[in-house]
Amino acid sequence: MIKTFNVLKATAFVTYKEWAAYRSHMLVSVFVGPIYFLVQYFIWSAVLKHQETINGFTLEQILMYYGITMLVNYCIMDFAGWNLQMLIHTGKFLTFMLRPVNHKYFAFSQKIGHRLLGFCLEFIPVYLLFCFVFRLNLVPDNFIWTLISVILGFVMMFLVNYTIGITSFWLIRTGGISRMFLLIRDIFAGVFIPLSFFPETMQKILFYLPFQYISYVPVRVFLGSYELAGKSYEISYIVFLQFVAVIVMLLISEVLWKLGIKKFSGVGA
Amino acid sequence: MEAWNKEVFRGGSMIRFVKLHIMGVKIAFASRMVYRADFLLSSFITLLGDLIIPLITFLIYTSGASFPGWNIYEVLLIQGIFMISRGIANMFFFGTVWNTLSSVREGTFDLILLRPHSTLHMTMITAISCDDLGVIAGGILISGIALYNLPAPGIINILGFIFFFIVSLMVLVSFAIIMSATVFKWVGNSRVYEIFDAITIFGQYPATIFSKGFNILVTWVIPITMIAFIPASVLLGKAARGIYIAALSSVVLFVMSLVIWHLMQKKYTSVGG
Repeated sequence: MIKTFNVLKATAFVTYKEWAAYRSHMLVSVFVGPIYFLVQYFIWSAVLKHQETINGFTLEQILMYYGITMLVNYCIMDFAGWNLQMLIHTGKFLTFMLRPVNHKYFAFSQKIGHRLLGFCLEFIPVYLLFCFVFRLNLVPDNFIWTLISVILGFVMMFLVNYTIGITSFWLIRTGGISRMFLLIRDIFAGVFIPLSFFPETMQKILFYLPFQYISYVPVRVFLGSYELAGKSYEISYIVFLQFVAVIVMLLISEVLWKLGIKKFSGVGA
Repeated sequence: MEAWNKEVFRGGSMIRFVKLHIMGVKIAFASRMVYRADFLLSSFITLLGDLIIPLITFLIYTSGASFPGWNIYEVLLIQGIFMISRGIANMFFFGTVWNTLSSVREGTFDLILLRPHSTLHMTMITAISCDDLGVIAGGILISGIALYNLPAPGIINILGFIFFFIVSLMVLVSFAIIMSATVFKWVGNSRVYEIFDAITIFGQYPATIFSKGFNILVTWVIPITMIAFIPASVLLGKAARGIYIAALSSVVLFVMSLVIWHLMQKKYTSVGG
């Protein structure tokens, strides 16, 4: 157990140091994030100029939604799937098969290191900008439930991305298909627009897909209320559902991994 | 003319430039056809990615809300024109950013410097991307649907639109050149694309939704509204005052981009990064 934790700690630390060398790469978020938010500010201010609410959101609530979505995404983003695809495509994955560490665990540890740096260089500066420049009241309704939900979102994002990466065992060139998955993931996770804006039937389908548990659920938990497809749940219950969804996604990725690894030839493509 | 050719085309001519550009397109298509399925899928996905903003517009209008003074088809026309303009620019010019970025990082920009041709043009023609064909097609489709549901524009509006659409492409080329120039100093920062995406998102909405000061910024200082809003409003006969100042500002931006490219190119150290 201690050895396993040491692997995580060492990998996370090395990733942190490696990415810290490219600080300006991450600091771009401090510029890009507020710009995207400013766009949302103009759009929704214009849209809600002559009406109080849209799909149950007031101007303040919708701006909060976008602000929190952005911050949650700084905490949970990763490119584990892209890395895995690259390793399989080039044949370099072979070196990981020879190492005494499970690749999924290694990639997860890398994500922790990468996001720790992201927390310092992206989350904190943008959080402060949102609070002091845009005057958003970014205090979670319940800190503990929000923290648990964001951690589960962190794991869910990793599992979904990693599972997309596993498809490389079957497909020679996966750039197109992985971009499609990533786009679907972001749309159905509520990154671009709250899921409650989608038609009722679509919302019912989205409820049973894993994507809402990546970002939409943590954001709603932060806001203190959950609603989708006409269903409202207690925060504790939706976080429990999020936990169940993470377990199901873990099992799916394990099954796919076991099937996919048999296809690996080690020569690249 | 000879002196102009020597100065601008490094001893070549405009015809040679066009020939090389056509050759670049042919090579780009041929190499992309090696993985046909991935090409088709990538084109489709690029199109889907660019349909996000029209989708948001659609969801806003179907929720009973609107941008004051603009109906859904007028907004979709702006977004359709943005897609066409961006698709063309991505296909022919934006590859230069990634090309410069990777060759400067690897230190292989030397190979481009050694060739007897404009370095800027070389980085462009060796990075033509076909994946944006889907976006161009999608943009034409959205604009077509919008125009079908709007009163037919007059001939003056159409001619005005063509002029401002060309200026729109010039603005996008200028952005591509400036972004490429920054990576000589800012080695390996692939997020320059994100900065560009963030800035140009303002160009996908009616400029009337912005505050007055901000409108001046994105029309006259950094002519982002020139990418789609101004050409679309000219086509719709809703052109605002000051569009010719914006056109002038676009020309200044283009000249500035070339100057920046040449200045930044001198910063290339050949050691990678």
